[in-house]
Amino acid sequence: MAVNGLFRVVAVALAALTLALPVLGGPFASTGFGISPYLANIIGQIATFALLAMALDLIWGFAGVLSLGHGLFFAMGGYLIAMHMLKAGYVQQGIVPDLMTFMGWTDLPSFWAFFESFPYALALILLLPGLVAFAYGWMSFRSRVSGVYFAIITQALTYVAMLLMFRNDTGFGGNNGMTGFSRLLGMPIGETSTAVWLATASTAATLAAFLLCGRLVASPFGRMLVAVRDDEARLRFLGYDPVWPKLAVWTLSGVLAAVAGALYVPQVGIINPRLLSPEVSIEIAVWVALGGRGTLSGAVIGAVVISALKFWLTGFAPDLWPFILSILVLVVVVGLPNGLTDLRLPCLTAMRRLRREP
Amino acid sequence: MSLRISRRRLLRTAGATAIGAAAASFPVPGLIRSARAADAVKLGCLFSSSGAMANVEGRLTSVVRMAAEELNAAGGVLGRTVEVIGTDPASDWPLYAQLGRQLIQQDEVAALFGCWTSVSRKSVLPVVEQEDALLYYPLHFEGEENSQNVVYLNSPPSSSVLPAVEYLMGEEGGGATRFFMLGSDYVWPRTINQQLKGYWSKQGIEAEAWREEYVPVGHSNFQTLVNQIREFADQPGGQPVVILTVVGNSIPDFFREFANQGISALDVPVLGLDALEADFEGLDTAPLVGHLNCWAYLQTASGPRNEAFLAAWAKHVADTGAPYRGDVAIDPMVSVYDGVHLWALAAEKAGSFDVPEVRAASPEVSFACPSGYEIAMMPDSTYVKRGVYIGSLNETQGFDVLWQSDGTPDPVPFSPFMNS
Amino acid sequence: MTLLRLLVLLAVFAASPAVADRAALSAGLCAPSLGDQIAALGALAEAGATGGAEDARWAQAIVAAVEGRNLRCATDGVFIGEGEAALDAATLAPRPAPAKAAGPPVNNRLRAAAASAAAVLKLFTDFNPAVRAAAVGALERRREALNLTIVDAALANEPDAGVAAALEALRARLLLADAEPANRIAAIEAVAANATLRNRTLIAEALAGETDVAVQAAGAAALAQVDRSLALGRVLATLYSGLSYASVLLLAALGLAIIFGLMGVINLAQGEFIMIGAYAAWFVQNAIRTVAPGLLDWYLLAALPVSFLAAALVGLVMEALVLRRLYDRPLMTLLATWAVSLLLINLVRVTIGTQNLEFHQPFYVTGGVPILGDFIVTLNRLFAIVVAVAAFFGVVALLRFTTFGMNVRAVAQNRAMAGAAGIDARRTDRLAIALGSGLAGLAGVALAPLYNVNPNMGAGFIVDSFMVVVLGGVGSLAGAVVASFGIGQINVVMEPIYGAVAAKVVVLLLVIAFIQRRPEGLFAPKGRR
Repeated sequence: MAVNGLFRVVAVALAALTLALPVLGGPFASTGFGISPYLANIIGQIATFALLAMALDLIWGFAGVLSLGHGLFFAMGGYLIAMHMLKAGYVQQGIVPDLMTFMGWTDLPSFWAFFESFPYALALILLLPGLVAFAYGWMSFRSRVSGVYFAIITQALTYVAMLLMFRNDTGFGGNNGMTGFSRLLGMPIGETSTAVWLATASTAATLAAFLLCGRLVASPFGRMLVAVRDDEARLRFLGYDPVWPKLAVWTLSGVLAAVAGALYVPQVGIINPRLLSPEVSIEIAVWVALGGRGTLSGAVIGAVVISALKFWLTGFAPDLWPFILSILVLVVVVGLPNGLTDLRLPCLTAMRRLRREP
Repeated sequence: MSLRISRRRLLRTAGATAIGAAAASFPVPGLIRSARAADAVKLGCLFSSSGAMANVEGRLTSVVRMAAEELNAAGGVLGRTVEVIGTDPASDWPLYAQLGRQLIQQDEVAALFGCWTSVSRKSVLPVVEQEDALLYYPLHFEGEENSQNVVYLNSPPSSSVLPAVEYLMGEEGGGATRFFMLGSDYVWPRTINQQLKGYWSKQGIEAEAWREEYVPVGHSNFQTLVNQIREFADQPGGQPVVILTVVGNSIPDFFREFANQGISALDVPVLGLDALEADFEGLDTAPLVGHLNCWAYLQTASGPRNEAFLAAWAKHVADTGAPYRGDVAIDPMVSVYDGVHLWALAAEKAGSFDVPEVRAASPEVSFACPSGYEIAMMPDSTYVKRGVYIGSLNETQGFDVLWQSDGTPDPVPFSPFMNS
Repeated sequence: MTLLRLLVLLAVFAASPAVADRAALSAGLCAPSLGDQIAALGALAEAGATGGAEDARWAQAIVAAVEGRNLRCATDGVFIGEGEAALDAATLAPRPAPAKAAGPPVNNRLRAAAASAAAVLKLFTDFNPAVRAAAVGALERRREALNLTIVDAALANEPDAGVAAALEALRARLLLADAEPANRIAAIEAVAANATLRNRTLIAEALAGETDVAVQAAGAAALAQVDRSLALGRVLATLYSGLSYASVLLLAALGLAIIFGLMGVINLAQGEFIMIGAYAAWFVQNAIRTVAPGLLDWYLLAALPVSFLAAALVGLVMEALVLRRLYDRPLMTLLATWAVSLLLINLVRVTIGTQNLEFHQPFYVTGGVPILGDFIVTLNRLFAIVVAVAAFFGVVALLRFTTFGMNVRAVAQNRAMAGAAGIDARRTDRLAIALGSGLAGLAGVALAPLYNVNPNMGAGFIVDSFMVVVLGGVGSLAGAVVASFGIGQINVVMEPIYGAVAAKVVVLLLVIAFIQRRPEGLFAPKGRR
């Protein structure tokens, strides 16, 4: 099956990048084929986007539930790791976070306790978004909120979170967010080696998630998800309860998005509630829709292509980017229901025809 | 689906991937930019032309271009022409850091000019510090920061907000004794208000004499808050004033509601710390006459330097067709204009574009600012000494000079009133 | 020749002794201290009041010069205007002013005194009783240049009974600190007649040192009366704020509700249609300004149909190019309409620019009308409320009484059955989209006097308006009304207590929780899901 071929290409590309980054970005960085720290940083960021897109594709592409609120989980992971870095910097190096200065605090609020410990932060990154996703999904899926309603309400929820986080009194730095990180796991943020290390970790995490999700969707559980997507009512009549598979994959999706956020924030060096804005969450859906829903490689390709284009264009033709994005979305949504993967089929048929002809 | 991969297929895919990766790592923007003059020295701009800040921030890139043209017309800097690279961080704070890194690492700019909000500056700060680059920051701001990688072109509160508040508390300003602080909820208003409260405490003013309210950035419905201000103002205890630190589009929204509810500057004057001529472009200011602002430059400043600047800006807008008003000049425009010239003078003095040398030469040069003051960087900090203006809003959406400082007071980076 | 002129001048001085007074009075404005300048304005007002109409008109010219920052002080006199075109302040005759003469700095205290003096002088110069009544109203608030002598002179001079009564009340108010207790009681009652918090403070401050028992009793009664009015005014103000917020929500959500009810499509570009409506209003304004400047004040009304059509047209184009291909994929329409919104924002940004548009503010959307206590009906919000109510009833009538409305209701209830009954469902969809987009265009006109008009203005409405639609129930207009009133009112009640953000957060969370319990919203067609 053609999709398997694409799956392999993506898996191998991710593996190759994971292996190549420490070498080409480290000792060979300044040679002709080396990867500059700048490029490594970009690759790392794009990898986290790919992971995020994959997370959304699991729930949208396979279970048919569109979330316009994945920015919430992404930002959760980001905020948790940022809190760890700030608290660790404060406790270990005595760097007073900006938010303490302008809020006039002498100490951080109680919910910042223990954040200097990395294992604690990591555990929260995995548990908290999962818990939130589970609780929210349990409420929604049981009352059969679905389709456009679910999409709108997830967006509203993210919007609420954004409003809350913009408040300085909430205690997470408000509009300013968190910035000025010094170290992560003892490595100074911003050093070349750290940039390469983080990028490698991002591609590795994306690869691992890609393989794991690949297994998952190919399993009987994955087929159950597709059944939920294609006709939930029929599945119910057949005696299955669609709530639990939906809930399971929704929770997994939330955790994956949070991991992506936790990898993303140290690489950009700042987090603020903008990540919770409706546009960011919609953009994630755009990656998946453009790459092609329902195939993991499609989601990865969509995220990589769009965000790479965005990085490149906002640099030298900033006015052009929104036009290209919007027209791309319209063309794909109207003309290519399965995203860019639709383009592959005509190519394949053409290639087959060529092969057959001689 | 199988994950077993045959060796031949693995090799083939790996080869394709390697080619793909090589192609991806090819510096395409560099290819496009190589067409430009090879010997030009580059200046990078980080001002948003889209998003919430676009209304005021976008025009600053044009000012940098205008200043660069002036330098080029006079033979460039150290014999090299100056080239300006504009970007659009889209009012998205992380994107300022990202684009800043790109300008420094990929485009190798000699200096950055950028940021309006303190949030965006805080976002770029780690980048310029890691790369040892120079960021020229054109806004008056909250202070409490002194990075050797940022040239603070505009005033900290000690030489902008405090003189204005002192004026309001004095005889001419109406002898204000009660203060309603209304701000957008972010670092600049919070810090300013911290310092003001510290200042008033040291003056022996009780905490009952002030109130502090924050609204989200971009807040537009001020009905309830204007009602609260009126209630506060009408209570006994003396002359009330509003210290307004809302930013962006909240400023016209606030003043519109204030005027419509019939509160006059003669009863409750508003000191709009971020209020600019540009914020009133769409408003009828007749019912708003008498509200105040304070900046290091006002368009109505007198003197030939200002006339020349205003003429140059009008001409630049007409020549380039930039979508801004050629007859409105605001303080940050002048500040960033000063910044380009201060950078050029320092580079000439140092005989080099290297950041450490430009920085070392910076305190030794001075520039005749359109505001009418001769301005220079402090020897012991990277703050620039500026004059102080207090402006009074008039019927034609401009600010008349109500008061101006005798000279350029020394900026105080870290306020003694902070958290006291 | 020169000698002759001097002689004539001397003769003039000798003939009218008032001229010497005038020179001294105007020179007072050039005194070095602000207190003296303010006192000079008071003296000027009194001179105008006690002298003849001629003196009043002269004083008025001087006060106008102060307010217009036109007064110039020089060693040899005071001037109005600069250089060759200047007038001598004492004689109002042309007399070149020396170069670089500066006037007194016009700060807010001087401006307040000048405004007070100007109001006093209007009492003696204006023939229109309405203007004089307005001047009395202004003096109630601004007493810098007011004293009993002036009020008495004005009373002696006043032919109009209504204005005279207002002057009597003003006179009574000036006696708040009078030696005679009866006068103090009358003053308290006169002040309490206008039940604002400011007047309450005045009375309370006057009572602070009061020893007379009768005055104390009268004061307590007056305070109680003012407090009752203030409390009622506060309730009304809150209701009005909620109503005005609800009207904004309803305007933004009405079109959305129609499109969503009919096709299950959430149009994320609805906010941008509002923006297009506002821009269309701006073009109408500019057109009227060039064609018929006299009618400029009415451009908002003229813009209503234009903006409706402009937004409807964009909606139709969007339907033809995008939506019609996506009717069976509602989730994709979310992305498609988002892309349309992005495109529209950037098209406007590139072609017109990012700055806030300048709107002329006609009299019917400027200022406010004080109703009770501190409750003021602001006219720009009233305009939005009126448009919202009119739009709502218009849409209800359209759906209830026209064939198109019947078709819409039929298609919304059962698309296939409606088709079987001979209704062209696609055509109905198109018309409904035109209607829904057009309503957003109307919202743009109604909101232009309220909000800043720029390319990004639509973004702020999306989440709020679809919460209204979802809460109200699919396609239920009554639901949309109830939802917007509920959201608006709860928001306004909570805002002073918890702050703007917390209020919004709580309201949105309530809506989300409600939807979990009742996914079909407040008012929904019965049916199984």
